[in-house]
Amino acid sequence: MTDRLLSLTEAVTLVQPGHTLGLGGNMLYRRPVAFVYELLRQPDPPRDLTLLCFTAGYESDLLVGAGLVRQTRTCYFGLEAFGFAPMFTQAANQGQVQVLEETEASLAYGIRARLAGVGFMPSTAWIGTDLLALRPDVKTVIDPYTGQELVAFPAIHCDVAVVHALVADRAGNARLNRNLGIDPELATIASQVVVTAETVVDKLSEDVDLPGVMVSAVVHAPRGAWPTSCYPHYSLDGSELLRYIEVCDNGQFDDYLRAYTGGR
Amino acid sequence: MTHAGSQPADDYTIDELMAVCIARQVQDGEILAHGMATPLVAAGYILAQRTHASHAYFASAIGQGVVRDWAPLSITRAETLWLGKALTHVSFVVIAADLLRAFAPKEFFRPAQIDSSGNFNNVAIGSSYERPRLRLPGVAGIPDVSVHSSQMYLYVPRHSRAVFVPRVDWITGLGHHPDRQEGSGPRYLVSDLGQFDWYDGRMRLITVHRGVSIQRIMAKTGFDLAVAAHVQETPAPTREQIRLLREEIDPLGVRRLETLAGAARRDLMRAILEQEAALDTRD
Repeated sequence: MTDRLLSLTEAVTLVQPGHTLGLGGNMLYRRPVAFVYELLRQPDPPRDLTLLCFTAGYESDLLVGAGLVRQTRTCYFGLEAFGFAPMFTQAANQGQVQVLEETEASLAYGIRARLAGVGFMPSTAWIGTDLLALRPDVKTVIDPYTGQELVAFPAIHCDVAVVHALVADRAGNARLNRNLGIDPELATIASQVVVTAETVVDKLSEDVDLPGVMVSAVVHAPRGAWPTSCYPHYSLDGSELLRYIEVCDNGQFDDYLRAYTGGR
Repeated sequence: MTHAGSQPADDYTIDELMAVCIARQVQDGEILAHGMATPLVAAGYILAQRTHASHAYFASAIGQGVVRDWAPLSITRAETLWLGKALTHVSFVVIAADLLRAFAPKEFFRPAQIDSSGNFNNVAIGSSYERPRLRLPGVAGIPDVSVHSSQMYLYVPRHSRAVFVPRVDWITGLGHHPDRQEGSGPRYLVSDLGQFDWYDGRMRLITVHRGVSIQRIMAKTGFDLAVAAHVQETPAPTREQIRLLREEIDPLGVRRLETLAGAARRDLMRAILEQEAALDTRD
């Protein structure tokens, strides 16, 4: 059995400048935060990243705040009941980050197109709304059978996907919880997949959500989703999220980052 | 329900009235989609399920599951319900690509801007998309579902001319629009001032909440509002509905996060988190 166990420091080197980085989990749940902290600890972290998430939250806001993100691709960037993601909101208001507007359908069909090996997937989504104006790169096609105009959602590419797991084995087989988000599909389209896991065991034999064959690296990262949750092990840390928002609102994001990533 | 419980309540707050209005729109046996950070809607859905719609199913954004059970509203403990008690789960790709059309869930959306035709905007405020006055978190699945849904319901916790505008900056939710090919546009809207429907493609006032005048609603609406022939006061909640909301469905007051802003909202959030931490210690 191939041993794919790496340290966090080794695993983050898979992310190169200009990459599309896909982050797993959903909303404030099971996000790969430990990986993001480690990435931000690098003396020369990779820049010009395209951030790809189904929904983006705290983990992604850190990357935007640190200036590593050129472009975001997600259908929601926020902190759920806690409100706006402060650094993303600020950067987007000032035009400092490029927002490639996505919706649930554009992400789902874009992923499906990649999985099917075709350039696009057709859908009725967006027709009549202004989304096509916000995404001039997205084209429409005519259904050859009915003549109906449909949106042709382009295939989505991902260089490195990072997913936080409850448990993984050394070969990369990983068990998530039932809040899957788009993790199984995200891992399937990504060129490389990093699994960070609360626990690493020698061999998992059942109930695996990500088969090890698609996984490049396994990292032991206990409490690796904090302050987002990792059900059933721990719930989200609301007071930390409130503190984060307050610190950012006071213009002290850099101090916050330094406290978690060492004197960068 | 006891006779006393079915009596109208005197003592109710606006968030409670809105939750009750939402509950009244639910029919038994429906699938109800829970959005992200919409506790007022969650309170209304659960209230409906606990009263007249006991066969309602919930489709959850957290866990992407189908759920028949319920639990008191929570910030940090929501997964106990959505992951712990779901009938089944799929990935969000499967929901968005395969299931939403077939399940056609009823869903309440919260527009940041809305026009008379019921077109709404949740992407950004301001005419420049690249440099908006305020970037909003994002549109999730609204541009996907609103183009074909006949089950689109809306709510606005703070009725103002900033929300009800002559023309939305961007149409991300399709209303009663000439380009519509399927579905119906929004059927219903409840705000903190009244209830509305769409008549001849225009938003129309149908009831005013207690103590609110038609003139006040018109003054707080940035377009020419249609008004039904006989506008009455929104029926009061029953005592039992209020008891269920306060004692069973939402004892921590999570629903009120939607009607508050600024420091008051932050204080409520802190209070909820402290009470939930105490619950965690007790478990």
